[in-house]
Parts: sequence; C-alpha cells; structure tokens
Amino acid sequence: MRFRTLVTNSNLLLRVVQSIDKLAKNAILKLTTEKLHIIVITDVDSGLQLWSDIAVNALFSDYRIESIHGDEIYLEFTIDNLQRALKSAQGALHTTLKLTKKQGIPVLSLVIQNQSNTGRELILNQDVPVRVLTPLQMDAIREPLVPDSQVHIMMPPLNSVRSIAERMKGMGDRVAVSANREGEATLRVSNDLVEITTFFRGLENLTYDSSTQEPSANPTPDRGSGEFYTAVVDMKNFLRFLQSYHVAPKNIVCCIIEHHSLVFYVYIGSTGYGGVSALNDQTCGSLTYFIPVRQV
Amino acid sequence: MVITNRLGATATAAAARPTEMLFTARLNNIRPLVNMLRTINFRPRASCAINSGGVVFTVEEAQSIVAQAYLRTDLFAEFNYNEQLAKEYNGEQIESESESERDAVEDATHVSLPLDNLIECLTLFYGPSGNISNSSSVGAHGGAQSTSGMISSGNPMGLRGATTAHLAFNGLGSDFELMLEERGIISVCRLATFVPEAPVDLDFAQFPVIQQLIIRSEWLRDAFNELDPTSEAVGIAISSTAPYFSITTVGENGSTEMTYSKDERVLDSFFCSEEQENRYKLGLILKCKYALALSDKTKIRVNQRGFLSFQFMIPTDADVSFVNFLYAPLVHADELG
Repeated sequence: MRFRTLVTNSNLLLRVVQSIDKLAKNAILKLTTEKLHIIVITDVDSGLQLWSDIAVNALFSDYRIESIHGDEIYLEFTIDNLQRALKSAQGALHTTLKLTKKQGIPVLSLVIQNQSNTGRELILNQDVPVRVLTPLQMDAIREPLVPDSQVHIMMPPLNSVRSIAERMKGMGDRVAVSANREGEATLRVSNDLVEITTFFRGLENLTYDSSTQEPSANPTPDRGSGEFYTAVVDMKNFLRFLQSYHVAPKNIVCCIIEHHSLVFYVYIGSTGYGGVSALNDQTCGSLTYFIPVRQV
Repeated sequence: MVITNRLGATATAAAARPTEMLFTARLNNIRPLVNMLRTINFRPRASCAINSGGVVFTVEEAQSIVAQAYLRTDLFAEFNYNEQLAKEYNGEQIESESESERDAVEDATHVSLPLDNLIECLTLFYGPSGNISNSSSVGAHGGAQSTSGMISSGNPMGLRGATTAHLAFNGLGSDFELMLEERGIISVCRLATFVPEAPVDLDFAQFPVIQQLIIRSEWLRDAFNELDPTSEAVGIAISSTAPYFSITTVGENGSTEMTYSKDERVLDSFFCSEEQENRYKLGLILKCKYALALSDKTKIRVNQRGFLSFQFMIPTDADVSFVNFLYAPLVHADELG
C-alpha cells in the first residue's frame, strides 16, 4: 500500500475538513486514483451521513496511489487532527502528503516546507494518526441508496435558515421539511402548546437530478406542482447540517424523498465554494448530506 | 386543526379578515412588544385581556406578586377589536360564572396563553441565538429565550427588529395566531389558549395610598444592584422625615441600607401621609429588574395595607408604555403590635 502526493490546494482541502468539523469526532478518508472522498457517519441507522468527493487534480499533483484493493485506501482519522495539520500548511511553499508509519503506527504525514525571514528553509512535519481499514471494513461502507426524490429545490440563504431553525428547535425535537415545485419551501415544528411554520418563497426548483446531472428517471409528477412533499427529520440532524457553515450559503440543493430522507447537495468549485454558477469556477466535487426520516 | 402548507389557508385569519375575527392587530416593528412581554416573563404562562383600549398581559406568582404590561392601541399600527363578537363570546362565559365572579369580569376578552412560547415566536427572526441585544445592565430574564450552543458575533442576517407581525384571536377554543414577516420570509405561529384562571386580585385600590414618589430608574437600578442576595426580605421605608426613602436588606453578610434624600433631582412628586416600613420577599422584588432596566422613571406607591406598587414608565415609539408590578407585604407593620 502506497500513497504519496504533492498538495497544490491545501486551502480547499482545509475548508472541506472545517465544514465537517461539527458533525462528528472521526471521519473516513477514502482515496482512489480519481477522487478523494471524506465520509462521516454519525449513526448508521438514524443519523446524518456526509459523503463527499473531490477530484484529485483539484487538490494534488504528482499523485501516486497503490493498493491491493483496487488502488483504493480507506483511512479513519480524527477530524480535529487533520484540521490542525492542514491549518499549519496554509501559505506554505511546498506541501507533501503521504501515508507512512511512525513508531509502528500508521500516519498521514504532511511535510510542509516554508521559508523563514532569513531565507532559510523550514520544514514542518505534521502527523495525523490513522487507522487503515481492512477490505472487509471497506466493503461495509456504502453510500446510502436513495430513491429518486420527488422535488429538488435550491435552499434559501443558509444563514437565515440556520438562525430561524435554531430558534424553532426549542419547540420540538423533529422538524418537517417540505417543498413544492413552485419555489416554495417550509419548515414546521410543533408541540402541545405551539406550532410554527416558516415559509420561504421565490426559490428555484431544479427539474433534473442534480447529483448525476441526468434527467430524472421519473419526471412525471404524481401531484400538482403546488403540492408539497415532506420529510420529517430529527431537528438535531437538520441543525448539524445547517451548522456546517464553511460551506457557501448559496448553491445548495435540497432533495426531498417523502417518508425516506432529505438529501442536500453542496457543489464545490475549485476556487472556492461558488458552485456551478460561479464564473471561472469548475465544479470539482460535492458534499452530499443524507438525513434519514425520523422513525416514528 | 387542519394542517396545510399553503400560505393562504393558514395565514388568512391573521391578515385577511379583520372584521370577522374577534381581535386582530398589526405591528410594523415587534421590538417594543417583545421588550414589554419580557419584563413580565417570570412565569411560562400569562393571562391576556383584550378590549378596544388595548391588550394587558398579566403574570402572577404565589398570590404575592402580580405584574402587568399595558399595550395601548397606539402601540400597534392597526388594532381591531370586535365588540359585538366579544359580547357573544363573553356572554357565553358569563353564563357559567357565579354572581361574585360576574362582577369581576370586565368588559374585555380574557384568555390564558403560553408566554414563553409567544416570546420565542416573536423573536424567530432575531438572528443567531445568544446574540440577543439588551439595553439592560442587569441582564435579561432567563426563560425568555432558548439559547443554542452557537454564539456568533455580529448579525449575518441583519434582520433584527424589522419584523412585522399580525396577531389574531377568535375567542376561547381557538388558537392565538401570529404571522411574522421579514424580507420575504413568513412564519405562522399558532399558540394553544386556555381558560383563564380566576385573576389574582391584590386590589391595590381598595385601600388609600399613603406613600408615593417618582424616582429616576437609574437610581433604583443602583440600589437593586447593591441588595444582598442572601437576604430573604427587602425592607422599604418611606417617611416624611429624613431619611425619606430607604431600602434595606439583612443577609448573611450583614445589612445594607440605601437612603435617598428628598432632593428634587432624585425624588419627584413625593407624598407621605403615614410612615411605614414594609418588608417584601426579595426574590419576588427582583423579578421586576428587566422592567426597571427598560424604564426611565419608576413611580412607587404604598397603600395603607402595605401593598407596594411599582409603575415602570418605559419609552416606546408611541410615547410611554407602562408595566406594573404589585407586591403583597410579608408582614404588615400594624400586625407587629
């Protein structure tokens, strides 16, 4: 098993890791010949899951990877450790990332080259301890299968949704997220004493399945375009997603699969998080948040 | 309750049919209302009395403290109270009450509702929790807000206070409805209502006022901040000889006494026909701290039975609004023999 690469865009990698910082303590890094994936599973059955991918050529150059398992490597790591290591790589002249062993423990090693004020070369080593997953463990990690969603809609500005949802959370531990095909979305919480419904309008619907960028297999709506589709999820999970605030507040697609889940797609552009519509910003990856419907 | 998502169906009550509802009102800015409600939010529930003069929210505790926030109609951009409907609604109420209770029923619609939740709904667009602005130096009431762990600086939404609100109520048995709007985002809130409990009437007016003064609230705030929290009671003494007005506590750490001279710069409209010192439960007295913090001036009155009234004059857009706190004394001076 070998992995070694030059890091050309450590800032982008740092921001992805910062986004997931609040979700959990640990995450899985899946490295393949084409992409780098970060996977966070908070609770296999009822919790939020995050699956992300970034094209390796948006982050690295001189990328080398080899393993008996189809040239794929799965590493479990503590998010905070990787975050701190990447922070110290910001602004460096030259950064290398490789998988190696230190004192018998596998680590992801960042070798950061800087130049001091006097022109001397400074080399900083940041080691992130990792656990290498076995093939059996790797096979067990699969992206959730999600049926075609009934509605896709662009989220309103995340800041607004987050602060409103935070104030609604005191009124219930579950939230009903609904949207229709006419640019309207709602959040609802309720308890014995109070019910609150917040309406967002003027949103953009997408008429195709954005995750694969193909027309949806089932384009014929079974309801009128004004009718709402609803997924009831744990407020805690919904807030966790909203609090990933290093993600751009725009360009997030919300997909509702009634009685099944909420899926949010965030597109990553190479220069920032401008998403598909930003000029000069190629989409090089995405973050996909899966929030299962709350089991009654 | 039919739950629908369409804006039209759920929001019509609040916005579209003012003349058919018992009560509707509109506010262009919710902040004054929120502040007024926060002053009396020491219990989760409040009674609400609505008539053509405005709305009064009342909170009481332990039969020893009654706090009321008066919201006159001019505090609202629009105010509609349908007296005809009210008569029909209250008429039903009167049927079921005894003779003595009938006298207590004023010409108003009474309902009890969850005050904590009402304030939480009104502040939905206030921005990230933990960023509640508060002009008080003595801090905001707990229980008025649920705070999340996320404290962020600044206000990325930039929305606070520009929220407009529509209120609506159609008599007991229906929800109290609130529709808030800011920058195109609309929230519709429905609050459960309850049959109001018999009002606790400490009946201040029953006995003549023997002491009265108006004091600038900042002086009183200073005094409150000095009070010894380990003391059970606080003594308030007003006299026509020096010291004219004093506040004392006796606690584990000793006693404190604040006195005020009759100087016009400090005390205004001073009146004292009978000297008396009365004691009140400190914990209850301190519940008026937020009202005190918002007010410019406080009128203090004591009646012959030692009941104490604080009337806080709070500047709002529409002139001055009033919040009253009424306290029953711990032991009346007379009874000490």
